[in-house]
Amino acid sequence: MRISYEWLGDFLDLEGVTPKDAADVLTRLGVEVESLTMVDLSQIVIGKVLEQKPHPKSRNPLWIHQVDLGDHVQQIIAGAPNAVPGSLVPVALPGTTVPNGKVVKDMNIAGFKASGMLCSADELMLGEDHSGILILDRGKPGDPLTSIIPSQAIMEAEVTSNRPDCMGHLGVARELAAGLDRPMKRDFMPAFTGTADPPGRDLVKVTIDDPDLCSRYIGGVVKGVRVGPSPDWMQRRLRACGVRPINNIVDITNYVLFEYAQPLHAFDLARLSGPAIHVRRAREKEKLLSLDGVVRDLTPDMLVIADALRPVAIAGVIGGEETAVTTATTDILLESANFSGPSVRQTSRALGLRTEASARFERALPPELALAGARRAASLIAELAGGTVHREWADIYPRPQQPVRVNLRPALIDDVLGTHVPLEEAESILKRLNFHVKVMGDGEWDVLPPVFRLDVTIPEDLVEEVGRVYGYDRVPATLPGRRHERWTPATPSLDRRLDAVRDVLAGAGFTETWNPALVSGRKLEALRIAAHAMRVSNPLSDDMDTLRTSLLPSLIEAMALNRDRGRPDIRIHEIAEAYLARVGEHNSAQPEEPLRLAAVASAGETADEGRDAVYRLKAVLDGCIAAMTAPPCIYDRASTELFHPGRCAAVMLDGRQLGYIGELHPTVAAGAGIDGRVVAFEIDVEPVVAASRIPRAQPLPRFPGVQRDLAAIVEDTVAAGVLHAAIKELAGDLLEHVHAFDEYRGAQVPEGHKSIAFTLTFRSPERTLTDAEVDKVMAEIKLGLEKRHRARFRE
Amino acid sequence: MTDPSALTAEAIAAIGKARTATELERVEVEYLGRKSGRVSKLLEGIGALNPEERAALGKAVNEAKRTIEEALSARRSQLEASRLADLAETEAIDVTFPGPPLERGHIHVLTQVRRQIETILESLGYQVELGPEVETEWFNFEALNITAGHPAREMWDSFYFSPELLLRAHTSPVQIHAMLRIKEPPIYIITPGRCYRRDAPEATRLPYFSQVEGLAVDRGLTFGDLKGTLLYMIQSLYGRERRVRVRPSFFPFTEPSFEFDVSCGICGGMGCKSCRHKGWLEVGGCGMVHPQVLRNGGIDPTQWNGYAWGFGIERMAMLKHDVDDMRLFYESDLRFLEQF
Repeated sequence: MRISYEWLGDFLDLEGVTPKDAADVLTRLGVEVESLTMVDLSQIVIGKVLEQKPHPKSRNPLWIHQVDLGDHVQQIIAGAPNAVPGSLVPVALPGTTVPNGKVVKDMNIAGFKASGMLCSADELMLGEDHSGILILDRGKPGDPLTSIIPSQAIMEAEVTSNRPDCMGHLGVARELAAGLDRPMKRDFMPAFTGTADPPGRDLVKVTIDDPDLCSRYIGGVVKGVRVGPSPDWMQRRLRACGVRPINNIVDITNYVLFEYAQPLHAFDLARLSGPAIHVRRAREKEKLLSLDGVVRDLTPDMLVIADALRPVAIAGVIGGEETAVTTATTDILLESANFSGPSVRQTSRALGLRTEASARFERALPPELALAGARRAASLIAELAGGTVHREWADIYPRPQQPVRVNLRPALIDDVLGTHVPLEEAESILKRLNFHVKVMGDGEWDVLPPVFRLDVTIPEDLVEEVGRVYGYDRVPATLPGRRHERWTPATPSLDRRLDAVRDVLAGAGFTETWNPALVSGRKLEALRIAAHAMRVSNPLSDDMDTLRTSLLPSLIEAMALNRDRGRPDIRIHEIAEAYLARVGEHNSAQPEEPLRLAAVASAGETADEGRDAVYRLKAVLDGCIAAMTAPPCIYDRASTELFHPGRCAAVMLDGRQLGYIGELHPTVAAGAGIDGRVVAFEIDVEPVVAASRIPRAQPLPRFPGVQRDLAAIVEDTVAAGVLHAAIKELAGDLLEHVHAFDEYRGAQVPEGHKSIAFTLTFRSPERTLTDAEVDKVMAEIKLGLEKRHRARFRE
Repeated sequence: MTDPSALTAEAIAAIGKARTATELERVEVEYLGRKSGRVSKLLEGIGALNPEERAALGKAVNEAKRTIEEALSARRSQLEASRLADLAETEAIDVTFPGPPLERGHIHVLTQVRRQIETILESLGYQVELGPEVETEWFNFEALNITAGHPAREMWDSFYFSPELLLRAHTSPVQIHAMLRIKEPPIYIITPGRCYRRDAPEATRLPYFSQVEGLAVDRGLTFGDLKGTLLYMIQSLYGRERRVRVRPSFFPFTEPSFEFDVSCGICGGMGCKSCRHKGWLEVGGCGMVHPQVLRNGGIDPTQWNGYAWGFGIERMAMLKHDVDDMRLFYESDLRFLEQF
């Protein structure tokens, strides 16, 4: 909300308090001032236009003015034609800087001297209007402009949703007065001045048909008003709040909104049918031409103000064009009501229309505010637009606001804040904020919050009131600590345990990424991995309408993006959740959220490069699993979406499938715009963490080991993993380690066959092995492999 | 037949002439080689000699061997010493020539910051608690005192799957899960994790982000304790010269509620371009846990009280590393990720 410093001065004495001081105090109290715009008008003087002539030579239309500045007359050229002789205008003399930053200099325009500038509202930052010179309604030539318009300071403040009373200058001023400990100049509730007969309630009959959505409706009658422009001080303050002045009646309703935070509406009484007012839900297919010129389709969940025939306003949001105040209006019905916050919010959202009124009703205004606002508006109308205010208005108040009393044990203030606030100071603070405090016999305080504070209901709320005025910066910072008899032993977090994996991956050249979990459902479908996808019912866009079921599409996209930005060789990974809807319960039950580890790496162009890259990636994954101190996983030939049908393995740990590793299917890479091969894996992490064991130290070998190589020629279909398992089984206890290190096809290997080379390490814990012993075992292995897998051996 | 002493003299001369270890080895083989060495050859025909001559020759040959070995060893030390003395010239490399680039991967800056935050708060005795990202309306809103129709709901515009199920708008629901699980205080937990709000992506705001929240429930906790905890965290993360400002604010789940700011690291709070002349940079929200929230977590607010605070990991990382656009964290552009 925009707050005008000048306006605050109506309510309390700001002597010695600069706008910056006020902004700081308000921020400390909880009305956060986000910016402060200063408009210094002290250098601008008032001039009176004596003569206006068109510039004879200029190609653009320009006007030459002779301006009376009190002690002399100056020639000033302007582009706007509205400063006709007799006008009072703001003048910036050469050498001054106008508030919008423009520096004024002596100039010569096509042969005519121009000494100074006539200012528009926009140039003086008094409004958005830059179409013409600002015409003043009073002032003496030669006097500073500040003699009629004070320098301006506009604060942009954020008001928290629990404080609708601070959506008006009066409420903000009250905070400031409490913070500065200065008295308020004006009471919250103005006096009512209506005296004319007959009683207003006899002139307009008000009925609330839906009291659940409207807790109070005041309809006041003022007759014989003269509609015209509002005074310049009012226009200026409205502009400061970002609102365009319209006419005195409409401006007054807006002015009271920005003063009291109470939205008001004025109907042209003559244009109401009835005249009777019904506050009711809209009927099917009803429409309303709203003040902004749009025909609004109404639905039965919207509350409207209707006359005998039709809706004339959308409650709490906007009025209707057909019953609006115009220059022809003489009699008005002034509405000051209290509408349900959730209802106004829902209506405003449904219409896509957020107004100053709806922004206030949404936050649940106190119904007592309606009366204060109505009285204030009536007296302003009488003062500024004439007219007679009728007595005894309609005031339908089906659910009167109940006073809330809060019992406070004053020690709670110190207990919660952690410092000592003297009781007198605490009491004084509450009183400055208009709370009534009664000290009871037992020392407890019976506190009655002011009617405009619906947010205070529990003792802790009162602690906050005291604390924020006392000053949170005065409370010393401490760390908690007392003797505990219970505790939870420390355990490393899951994410910190996975740091071991991140370290292995970083060492292997993989950079970690964080990708959004919301992805395009259409893309998941195209990849055929959408079966368990959870779809958002109100997405921002179809690029982010579905929770990802796999991390791989995000990583593939990231790879494509980096290739587009000039990186040919990419290795990236991510650790994050995937989201899998439970079977048959899409969007109705919480999904499984398995934590996944996934990686992708560029893998060259050729089939051989792809194969080698798969093997390298397996080593990386083995390293990750080993870093988690889990038992090694094994790989079984498999096929699944996203992966190459001949180059994919299921990753198995203790008989449980963790995920897949292999080369991506060529169509998946190509689909992402990647022209080379890509290898990838994605596994569930939690089973690996669960399988993690504390490593136990093994005694170091005391006797030397013996290494032998074995190259087995087998048919293409025999897997290395199968031979590996067979060797282990055939070798018996003396085999310490076996590892396949080469796969070869070509010379000396028959067509349809391959040679796989293993390194075997033999060792006995009890003695140094002899060559003869090892030869014997090797012979058994060879014999076994020959029998089982028709292996032959290269020497 | 050669005289052993003459051969010795000849060998010592040759040893003296050897300029390198290789030459010296050649000399050694020539004279002391096991079969064809010239010293060994002195013994050829020893069988024809009488026992006295045999003994005398044997002794002389052994003497020659020993003398030559000593000379070899001395010369070897000499050569090694001069080789080591000359290393600066003989084996000099161009140390300004760069090594081949190490292809190291980078750990994401948000992981690094999250790790620092966890470590700092673990040092105060807080433990990490995790919870689901797809939450129920009750845990995300109701349990946190954000009832339906509450005006504050605007602050958490959320993504829904059904009227009851949504992507959590904050990690606060984990606080409720934790209270219900742990049951009896003291509770000192932090809840890092991903959150979602229905905000269009821009430089300072994303529909997906990561939060850390902290919750302490114990006897006699105070606002001063909350302030101290925030200060400890901020100073540990950004340096001990940093200050924390706590401003009143409003959240339905805390009372009193605050926002907390850190003093600008560039101007130290005086106001500069980087902090938009405020002197302070907004970090997050905090407050004393609302009694109703404790009750919703199964904790008796007449016995226990608590404080809680929360902030975005991205925001912390932006402040720490001068990142001006939050989107960079989630775009996976290696040119960005490799800077950390």
